[in-house]
Amino acid sequence: MSEPQMMFLDVPSLMESSQPAGRVPWFWIFLGVFAGIVILSMNVAQQAPQAHNEIAIFCAILMGGLLAFMMAVGMASARSYRAEQKLIDGIGELIQLRRWPQAAMLLEQTLSRPARTMPLRTQALMFLTTILSRYHRFEDAMLVQNYLLDEQLVDGSSAVGLRFGRAMAMLREDHLFDADRAINELRRTSGAAGSAALALVELYRDVKTGHPDDALRLFEEKRTLLRDQLGHRVADAYALAARAYDLQGRESECAQNWQNATLLAPAGELTRRYPEVEKLIGRYTPAIAPADLK
Amino acid sequence: MRSAEAVIQRVRRDINIAAALKVVFFIAIFCSLMIGPALLKMLALGLVICAWVWLSFTSARGSRIAADSPSLIASGQYEEAEERIDQAIGTFSLFQAVKLQALHQLAILRHAQHRWQESAILCRALVSRRLGQSRVFSRQAMLLLGESLLEMDDLPGAYQAIVALYGQQLSLGEVLHLLLAQLDYESRLGAWDRMMQAAPSKVQLAELMPAQQAARTQALLALAAKKTNQSDWFNWLRQRAQLLADPQVLCTDRPILKELWYA
Repeated sequence: MSEPQMMFLDVPSLMESSQPAGRVPWFWIFLGVFAGIVILSMNVAQQAPQAHNEIAIFCAILMGGLLAFMMAVGMASARSYRAEQKLIDGIGELIQLRRWPQAAMLLEQTLSRPARTMPLRTQALMFLTTILSRYHRFEDAMLVQNYLLDEQLVDGSSAVGLRFGRAMAMLREDHLFDADRAINELRRTSGAAGSAALALVELYRDVKTGHPDDALRLFEEKRTLLRDQLGHRVADAYALAARAYDLQGRESECAQNWQNATLLAPAGELTRRYPEVEKLIGRYTPAIAPADLK
Repeated sequence: MRSAEAVIQRVRRDINIAAALKVVFFIAIFCSLMIGPALLKMLALGLVICAWVWLSFTSARGSRIAADSPSLIASGQYEEAEERIDQAIGTFSLFQAVKLQALHQLAILRHAQHRWQESAILCRALVSRRLGQSRVFSRQAMLLLGESLLEMDDLPGAYQAIVALYGQQLSLGEVLHLLLAQLDYESRLGAWDRMMQAAPSKVQLAELMPAQQAARTQALLALAAKKTNQSDWFNWLRQRAQLLADPQVLCTDRPILKELWYA
């Protein structure tokens, strides 16, 4: 009988294993030992007054040693915190550079052991949602997003970012009713209302649910905002607009927007993000990148 | 707000006082361990440690005051950011990092306000050893310094700042800033061939930048492609740049780019 295979990025077990472990209460240990030395030295000094000087020197050495030990513990703790912070930052950079397999491996390793602090674990879990979405594991991504939001582990702008990710994941998984509710919530959230990210989610919903008129009205209205806030991800908006024009049968506009989209992102990447635009492949010509770029 | 020089003086004074205070604390601990009977020893040591801990807690306040200023600067709320930074600079701190952080944020603010001269003065203070060394601040300050000097058309100064960063381990965000500064510098020198070296990697990095910077980077590369007769790169990069930003704005910021659209 073959052994069951371990799942890569097994979400429930990673969430369990990454819980921060209880800390050693160094401060109270220090205080206890410190008080113990003082009481001991007072007792000994009372019982043997002739050895007063020796006891004083011995106590001074002990207390000095204790202070030095506490400083060493503090420095070691700060060093290991910095190392973990650096590791998490490194994972963030790998995600930005789209080195997904390396980022996923590092994240798996990081979350397989107790985190040093809750904020570091939260940061790692946020990166996990990005990687899970990349690998089209939207249900798992939503599980982590719901956990982070329900437990209130993230603050303002990070929470807004997670809500956007969750709304996109809902759309990808055809949870259209939930997605619509999430979009309405985002419209009322400060930091999300009127943003390009919200416009992109709404654009995707309209294309997905077959409302090209609404999608194109939104696209034209928010065009400058989408460009200014999304940077290269404005390619997504152009691709969705192209699909909306395609649904309306307006071929020249569709071709133009598909050209714009593929100028900024490869067609393969766009279809990976939005399977709906796959219908444009082969029917419309993508922009041609310089030969030595490929 | 005080002038850049006055702020630097204030920070330098505070850092010196904090260093002296730390020495005093160490001497006090040593003395309390050596002098008097055990009970007095405990009392004296307890007092010194309490004073140190209290001062450390109040010192962290400066860091909290200025914590919001990067987001305020990013959202264009310069006056509020200036107020916070001013408070952080005016508050005494035992930690050198808190003071340097406030100074660094002031340099970022001046950079965002296009007050290049002041930003450069503050950055120079941060990278000099006189304020003590903080590798993170000095790297970021060196980048800001390079950008400010480029804006002031001080090419030799900008070159020195850019070169100083080459031997250092930079974060991805710093690499992106350096790439744009380097392309900007090389375009002023007319080093078109050098700009087009490793163009695919440069384009890949540009895709990670915010819209305006991404557009400027690719517009500068498009200009280099034009000068080196690489028409496929020129057309592709130019079109990408104009999808990411208004060409008129790009040309206002960097008149050299007029050649891409208005020649």
